Amino acid sequence: MLKRIAPVLAGSALMAAALALPARAEDKPILLGINTALQLQVGRDTIDGVRMAVEEINAKGGVIGRKLEVVTADEGESPKEGVAAVNKLTGDNNVNVLIGGYDSGVTLAELPHISRAQTIFLGTGSASPAIQQKVKDDYANYKYLFRVNPINSAKQAASLLDFIKGKLKGELGYSKISILGENAKWVQDMVPFLKKNATEAGLEVPLAEFFDPQTADFSPIFAKVKDSGSQYLLIILSHAASDVFVKQWYDAKVPVAIGGIDVKSQDADFFKRVGGKALSEVTTNFVLRKPITEKSIPWWDAFVQKYNRAPVYTATGAYDAVYLYAEAVARAKTTDTDAVIKELEKTDFLSARGRVKFDALHEVQDGPGNVNVIYVQWQNEGERAVVWPKEVATAKMIDPPWMMKN
Amino acid sequence: MLDILIYGAVISAVYALLAVGFTLIFGVARILNLAHGAFYALGAYCVYTLTSNLHVPLIIAAIIAVLLVALFGIAMERVLVRPLRRLPPLAVLMMTLAVGLMVEQILLLIFGSEARNVPSLVESSFNFGGVLLSGQRLLAFFCSVAILGGLWLFMQHTRLGAAILAVSQDPEGARYMGIPSDRIFSIVMGLSAAIAAAAGVLVAPFQSVIPGMGLLPLVKAFAIVIVGGLGSIPGSIVGALLLGYTETIVAFKASIEWSQIVSVAAVLIVLIIRPAGFFGKRAAF
Repeated sequence: MLKRIAPVLAGSALMAAALALPARAEDKPILLGINTALQLQVGRDTIDGVRMAVEEINAKGGVIGRKLEVVTADEGESPKEGVAAVNKLTGDNNVNVLIGGYDSGVTLAELPHISRAQTIFLGTGSASPAIQQKVKDDYANYKYLFRVNPINSAKQAASLLDFIKGKLKGELGYSKISILGENAKWVQDMVPFLKKNATEAGLEVPLAEFFDPQTADFSPIFAKVKDSGSQYLLIILSHAASDVFVKQWYDAKVPVAIGGIDVKSQDADFFKRVGGKALSEVTTNFVLRKPITEKSIPWWDAFVQKYNRAPVYTATGAYDAVYLYAEAVARAKTTDTDAVIKELEKTDFLSARGRVKFDALHEVQDGPGNVNVIYVQWQNEGERAVVWPKEVATAKMIDPPWMMKN
Repeated sequence: MLDILIYGAVISAVYALLAVGFTLIFGVARILNLAHGAFYALGAYCVYTLTSNLHVPLIIAAIIAVLLVALFGIAMERVLVRPLRRLPPLAVLMMTLAVGLMVEQILLLIFGSEARNVPSLVESSFNFGGVLLSGQRLLAFFCSVAILGGLWLFMQHTRLGAAILAVSQDPEGARYMGIPSDRIFSIVMGLSAAIAAAAGVLVAPFQSVIPGMGLLPLVKAFAIVIVGGLGSIPGSIVGALLLGYTETIVAFKASIEWSQIVSVAAVLIVLIIRPAGFFGKRAAF
């Protein structure tokens, strides 16, 4: 008897399992894997930006009936840790999407692993154009890569050039500037580009130098800049000790104003961390509590209320990335990677930074109305003011205290 | 030219302070102390905590920080290093490395990886013939020279200094003469820790106060004592001047980027041409 019904029982069990499996998959949460440098503010804000968006979306019932869940992995600031983090998230956790990245060198090392895992990666911190170039060079294997934030370093270089020509030369009448960048992948192309174009624009660039991110004493460079007679020192720093740089500049009262890209100076507490010695430093940013779009101030206030601190640039990028993915899944009505990629390519999303759209390289587009670079200056009492572009400027640019004209 | 002279003097003085503490404990107790950078970091973090969290006046915080780190050095020698003294030297080396790593991780857990700010003792800046120098750097220079001078006087003109010299020259013989070499080792470790902490306190206002801040000074101290000769205080001072000025000349005349490779190149060259360093005799105080 048992022999006779055994095949029937086995068949029924298999059928039940087959029916049950898709049902369980539908109930399963959608896993978002966050690979970032957990020890840094940019990393912590990536996670907090993601969590904020996830809580909002889950409160509204999730996406296609499924809740979103977050799992994190520390990629530190080294390629080795980055690759391990990506492999953990895609292999052990089997996440549906990766969100994060900060160091371009680390992200570049992760790319083959992301491609092999066939997992969508929404970049929120790395700026090297080489990352998205992969999409153009080998779409089939690298279609998974999207850069939500920031705009890439080539576009940031173009923006810096606009700052040099429009603000430094045009408004302030400077004729001589020096350029100083840390020796990192994303800066290496930027400095020659800036030097060449600034010279063509009629500015003299007596000094354009790189330095090791481990540099602890900037006195020689300040002496050289001072001796060169430069009126402004354009800086490009991300991993370097910009706190040391700013403190030594302020303490020596170097008679040259500084500004450019200083990623650590984008932190809301940077001014306090350097004992107020960042006064008058200008740095790029992407979001501030200013009416860049209708969402900017409400989003900023919600973040501050939730976490009791002001966000850095990765927070808004990470927050947006969750929404972009959720909306793409909702439109595709599935988490199938290829279907979601097709929908992500059609993205048109209004964020706190501007409108987010992707170009053919899956690169966030800049330009009027889109995500753009703003130039923010540390002013008295640690207040931050937008000083460029002219259309969104909120205050006049100030000089360092020891250079103020009476 | 004047800027090279001034900046080179400041950096050399701080390097000398770092290297002398490092070579002192090697010269006396034959301990290659890889936790030396941790003493430097602890000095900076102590003064940060005392000034920022407990609002202790800066000068008092600096003195307390140096004393606390000296006590930490003594405790480390008594509890962690002394029991390993009879084992092969590698055991002590590994223990000091473990202490160095542990201190860094604890600082990371407590303070996070972001740089902390230590205010300057002297806020004004000075102009020497067109060369701008912050007051804190000037203070670091004079304090370093004073500490090194004080150390020399202490070693040459006190009974304890003589006992330290005796132990460094012949520990067994010193013991037969009634000098408690174990206690001398503890005192020297405390002294070495205090000097490193003083360097940390002096440079913290113009350097990055981060958990890993001890690594680079350890590498520099190591390079200097290899150049100068392990265990030799005059060698360390000469090595510090050599390295400090070479780095400054390279930074000014070539590129700041190349200055970082100087210490590694100096070590390689000295190891090839004079493996024992310039003053590389045993206990050549």
